[in-house]
Amino acid sequence: MIGILEYVWLVPLVPVLCFVLAGFFGKKTPQGGGYIAVAGALIAFVIAALASYDYFSSDYWAANAPYVAELAWMKVGRFTLNFGVYIDSLSCIMMLFASFISTLIFIYSIGYMDDQAEKKTRYYAEVSLFLTGMLGLAVSSNYLEMFVFWEIMGLCSYLLIGFWSFKHPNGDEASINASSAAKKAFLVTRLGDVCLMAGLFVLMYMVGSLDYVDVFENPAKIADQYGNMLPVAVLLMFAGVVGKSAQFPLHDWLPDAMAGPTTVSALIHAATMVKAGIYLVARSFPIFVYCQDAMIIVAVIGGVTAIYTASMALNNMNIKRVLAYSTLSQLGYMVLALGSGAYLISMGMESGNEELIVLGGAAYVAGVMHMVNHAFFKALLFLGSGSVIHAVGTEDMRHMGGLRKEMPITAYTMLIGCLSIAGIPIFSGFWSKDLVLEAAFAPFHEGLGAGSIFMVLFILGMITAFMTAFYMFRMWFMTFCGKERGHCHGESPYNMTVPLIILAVFATISGLGMLLIDGNAGILQSLATGLSGTFDGVVNALPHFHDGIHTIKEIFMEIPTYVALVLAILGIGIAWKLYVKTPYDAEAFKPENHGALYNFNAKRHYFPELYNWISWKFGAGVAKGVNAFDKYVIDGTVNGLSNTAVGGGEGLSGLQTGYVRDYAGLVAVGVIVILAIFALIFVYGGGF
Amino acid sequence: MFESFAETLVDTFGQVTYILPEILVLIAALIAPLVFNITKKGSVVAIVSFVFVAIAALLVMLMMHTVTYGAAFGMFEFDPFSSLMMLLFVAVAFLTIMVSPVHVETTKHCGEYYALICAIVAGMMFAVSATTLLGIFIGVEVVSISSYALVALKKNDPRASEAAVKYLIIGAFSTALTLLGMSMIFGVTGTLVIDEITVAIANGMVANWAFILGCIGMIAGYGFKIAAVPFHSWAPDVYEGASAPVSGFLATASKKMGFAVMFKIFFALFVLSHCVFIEEFQYVFAILAAITMTVGNLVAISQSNIKRMLAYSSVAQAGYIMIALAIMSQYATTGALFHMFTHVVMKGGAFIIVAALITAGLGEKIEDYKGLAKRAPLLAAAMMLFLFSLAGIPPLAGFTSKFVLFSGAIFIDGVVSYDWVWLAFIAVINSAISLYYYARVVKAMYIEKPAVDDKLSVPAPFMVAIALCVVGVIVLGVYPEILLDLCSTAAEYLIPSP
Repeated sequence: MIGILEYVWLVPLVPVLCFVLAGFFGKKTPQGGGYIAVAGALIAFVIAALASYDYFSSDYWAANAPYVAELAWMKVGRFTLNFGVYIDSLSCIMMLFASFISTLIFIYSIGYMDDQAEKKTRYYAEVSLFLTGMLGLAVSSNYLEMFVFWEIMGLCSYLLIGFWSFKHPNGDEASINASSAAKKAFLVTRLGDVCLMAGLFVLMYMVGSLDYVDVFENPAKIADQYGNMLPVAVLLMFAGVVGKSAQFPLHDWLPDAMAGPTTVSALIHAATMVKAGIYLVARSFPIFVYCQDAMIIVAVIGGVTAIYTASMALNNMNIKRVLAYSTLSQLGYMVLALGSGAYLISMGMESGNEELIVLGGAAYVAGVMHMVNHAFFKALLFLGSGSVIHAVGTEDMRHMGGLRKEMPITAYTMLIGCLSIAGIPIFSGFWSKDLVLEAAFAPFHEGLGAGSIFMVLFILGMITAFMTAFYMFRMWFMTFCGKERGHCHGESPYNMTVPLIILAVFATISGLGMLLIDGNAGILQSLATGLSGTFDGVVNALPHFHDGIHTIKEIFMEIPTYVALVLAILGIGIAWKLYVKTPYDAEAFKPENHGALYNFNAKRHYFPELYNWISWKFGAGVAKGVNAFDKYVIDGTVNGLSNTAVGGGEGLSGLQTGYVRDYAGLVAVGVIVILAIFALIFVYGGGF
Repeated sequence: MFESFAETLVDTFGQVTYILPEILVLIAALIAPLVFNITKKGSVVAIVSFVFVAIAALLVMLMMHTVTYGAAFGMFEFDPFSSLMMLLFVAVAFLTIMVSPVHVETTKHCGEYYALICAIVAGMMFAVSATTLLGIFIGVEVVSISSYALVALKKNDPRASEAAVKYLIIGAFSTALTLLGMSMIFGVTGTLVIDEITVAIANGMVANWAFILGCIGMIAGYGFKIAAVPFHSWAPDVYEGASAPVSGFLATASKKMGFAVMFKIFFALFVLSHCVFIEEFQYVFAILAAITMTVGNLVAISQSNIKRMLAYSSVAQAGYIMIALAIMSQYATTGALFHMFTHVVMKGGAFIIVAALITAGLGEKIEDYKGLAKRAPLLAAAMMLFLFSLAGIPPLAGFTSKFVLFSGAIFIDGVVSYDWVWLAFIAVINSAISLYYYARVVKAMYIEKPAVDDKLSVPAPFMVAIALCVVGVIVLGVYPEILLDLCSTAAEYLIPSP
């Protein structure tokens, strides 16, 4: 104990101070406040690291208990809303990787945004606030507080995606795209947020509080008492995740969000925003496990998102969009693992089979671990693509090629990222992806009720692994191999390449490291321990949790591991055959030379059109209809009257009485409406 | 020290102490034209009325602080509820008077302008402190009649005259309905004193249609004041027609008076008296609330004039506040009162910005706001805060108050209840819809390109008023306790715990 745990609230507070400092005084400092943002993220990381160390060496951890400190925020009647911190292994992991990766992204930004002149101030202020949102979310002690930070992030993403809307480096059309992308991201995620808010209301109704401590105190009792209502709350909350973490069918905002600066994409995809949804599922796990059927839905949405979005990356020409789809697909993996884990635990608790609980715990760990690994390799890939875009001035892979010689650091660090995401052994993605697939396989393997559904999801996951390897290497080969097809300014400056190298190191070792850290116990154990504090079922199963070495051995003894590996290598091979062996042919990349399926895929399965149709034809239609009613039916009479009154005296008297009668009619309508409602309820209730 | 001063006050003025704030504001209303005639300077009149309102505000705060509550001649009562509402009215008056002298649309008739504003504030203070239906009626009429004149004062704009005429005629209808309702209540219970009406209802002498019609008459009548659908049609025209500070003043203060009066009357009539019709009327209010917020939000989407958009958003906000009328619980009322205050800072702030931009030569269309972030960065940032607060984005004031208000539909006096969850759902969904049109303005300001690039500058008083509102929006969002306690006390006064 070094006592820093009590000051863990500084973790989100430091970036918010930087937001204020950079916003007001950024212009007067070098790099428009860039160094302030970097310092803020770094300090936040240091405090987070010290606090995590403190937590893991404290009595709280030893007792499987979270560290909780709360202040009363609002008192209304007998109901109190708190504001505080809730630290367990999940929050520690969350704030550590978010602050660490953000620090690197901010350092990189100093190079990347160098030419942005006075707009830099706005950028650094907003990214600091963005980080506040994520770190605040990680340490929050109740759902409402979490929601506050959740929304702060939504707001910042809106501003940052639209960052280049005044003047996009790629011209006017790109500016328009940026502004509509920003709005789309905001409104689509907001749709999820509304569901989340509604879910929280239901939760509040059931528990009488939104504090994690109260909600997780006895979830079994809530499930007993409100058997039918708990799944409603859980699914509504999950709808919030679907919006924030861009799951099918609300996934479409994320590819559009590429309109922002690449560093912002890296921030959204790796360190913040989309990870918030995954965090919410992981955090709410103790109540999720009481909704068996809902968890099947969660797993199915995860699995479908994984393969569906991976398919869209197959023929995309935009380097950032390929990465965006890969994020979507990987997020699908995480949701799949968490849904499957909750299902397993739920079955285990029902049947008293501890082995299922252990498997469920492992699936949970797989989901969280994949989130962390993904953060490293996705930050690396995005920053790498930013470095490429910085040098080439386009995002279109048809204008790249052969950059390996010009920018070797970028090329080889990105190669590590690709190997990692493709699931090649040793690299971080391999470990967690394997655990995810294992998690999807387990219900079938154990012969559970919904096993066949999970078998399908497992197969989808396998195909996704193949697709991932293919499109990632397609991207790498198209960008870095073959002949140069565009102009390149050479390797990026040090402040951009150094973060790339650091991230590459982590993308290599983080998977194995997490399995082996802390002696033999491993991150697995620690997360499962954190989970066990929240409900009884796992406590009994605790001694059965395997340590890291055991997990590693197990991974290499399973057949699916080798199937996935073969599929990945096959994917890389096909990509090599198509994009390296076959000489580049511009004709082959024109949409008109391809069939309907190719174009259907390239058009994102017409999802944007569907969204537009819903919002314009339907939403705006309703709004216009109501407006017309208001204008012509309700307002028309009144307007006519006053126009005549203002217009002068001629021929007025006859008309005016008519209008006044109309207007009196309107009043009568109102009174009749009230009377009708009253009478209806009155008669329904039995009369006098 | 404060206590002894309050004692001195009571010793000196006796019962008059409890209407001293009203009297002060009335004096301001009376001397404003006189001051203008002598000095011929609008700003001097503004300063004089400002000083009087400020003294009245200080007096209210002092009396609240020392718990100097009491009734003046049995007609007007200074109590936790009325004092809180007075605080709200003087706060709005404060902001309005501060920006009026520098606002370009302000009329040449300064004497009348400030006299009318002070008269309205005095009327509102009387209305919320009256203990009889008659007193309430007279207070509300003072407000209404002065408001018609205030809207018409922007003489060079035909829209203003149109709006004033419309306002007047609709107001006359609403007055007639209210009076009809009151007379029926009087017919049934034989008294106009609210406490006595409560007792009469509790004794069970009201189970007839005359009482029901009386209540419906008053609901419709005051429904106009709060612009509940279907009685809302005046609001957009009046807010569009009147000069922006006046619109802000009407949207924030005079509607709140409507609510305060409704709380006062209907809680007494239904809750305190254990009226047999309470459930029916709860549903009347609940359905009106749902319709009001939905229509307000949907129509706001298709507005192109920012004042009209804000007007419809006010209609929607009225729908939210009506939740408290439907639930009729302490908790929901606390939320409603708190929301009324946060609404003052966010909607008032938005209207002040609109006024400031009109002064700076910008139009009233939403498209005129394109690229405002470049032309007036501070104003754009403040506007964004106000709009997001209205949409209920945390951690701003609008979120906090909406949360308390909506959760009031679930927590009914400490007990979780299922009956009104549907209303909370509709409110949450509406809150999401509203973001659409608020985001449109933010998008115009931050994301679209301006037609011209020159910087806009606005007079200092505007900036001060806007800064006050910004502080309010943030502080009330992050640290709501400062007002929530007062709101709780007021709600407890209206609906005492059983």
